Amino acid sequence: MAKYGNRRVVIVVILLFIITGGYLLYNNYLYKDARNIAGEQPAFTVNATQLLAEYQEGTGAATAKYLNKTLAVQGKVTSVNDSLVIIDSAVFCAFTGIKEVYVDETITVKGRCIGYDEIFGEVKLDQCTLTN
Amino acid sequence: MKKNIILLFLLMPVVFYGQKFSTRTGTVKFEATVPSFEEVAAQNKSVSAALDASGGEVAVLALMKGFRFKVALMEEHFNESYAETDKFPKATFKGKIEGLDITKLNATGQVFTITGDLTLHGKTKKITDRVVVTRSGNTITITGSFKVKPADFGIEIPKVVSSKIAETVTIEYNLPLNKQ
Repeated sequence: MAKYGNRRVVIVVILLFIITGGYLLYNNYLYKDARNIAGEQPAFTVNATQLLAEYQEGTGAATAKYLNKTLAVQGKVTSVNDSLVIIDSAVFCAFTGIKEVYVDETITVKGRCIGYDEIFGEVKLDQCTLTN
Repeated sequence: MKKNIILLFLLMPVVFYGQKFSTRTGTVKFEATVPSFEEVAAQNKSVSAALDASGGEVAVLALMKGFRFKVALMEEHFNESYAETDKFPKATFKGKIEGLDITKLNATGQVFTITGDLTLHGKTKKITDRVVVTRSGNTITITGSFKVKPADFGIEIPKVVSSKIAETVTIEYNLPLNKQ
């Protein structure tokens, strides 16, 4: 009798493993959440003009350093239009949520660097949020 | 002051002749869904584009990291395994809209032929397709779609997943260009 009891416990334990394992796999691997840029600590804090200068000096080196990283970028707002803000005519920021930003204001934006835009000569950030 | 005068001279042709239209917030979508499998699609809403209205020249730049998928793992695979976006961070198109005359454009749209070079994943391919151009006020909107094969751009899709990703990818674009 005790023997069968043990076997049942083992089966239940194995089943629990499979269920939790499957659940974790489903949530954390197959359907894991996307990066939450707003919740990440910035890898670099830079001035908008300095960031642009680094890209213009050497796109390769700047790409290796900044691409896909969360950055905190400081500067003066030069343009505001719907969900986009341009800082120091150097960095383009696409915001995710609501923002209260006005031209000539000095701000710090946290966002993900997606690269250098040659057409406008700007560095682009997406998933931006205001940090101050 | 001297600098300003030089700048003025440099800008003169732009002011008087070059009718430049551009956007930073164009949309490019691509879809490679196989029927009855999970949706394989992504969207980039911050595509830059510029149009020189006098000659019909178009330049489009999409930063690859800007393509967002609904499923995070799909986005990761796209970035790391297929498009290799760390190595090839951008996709560009440089081409021409044949016979574009912006004075004859209207809000309902006209169909033109667009030809040019699409560069993606470090490979360039010539694209010729139809494009719809509309104009309302100071905004010229270019929309269209075309099909490409990942294989043409050296993007290999492993056998394990190849049944779930379409062989031809449809790329749709919508570029609302504002007068500069």
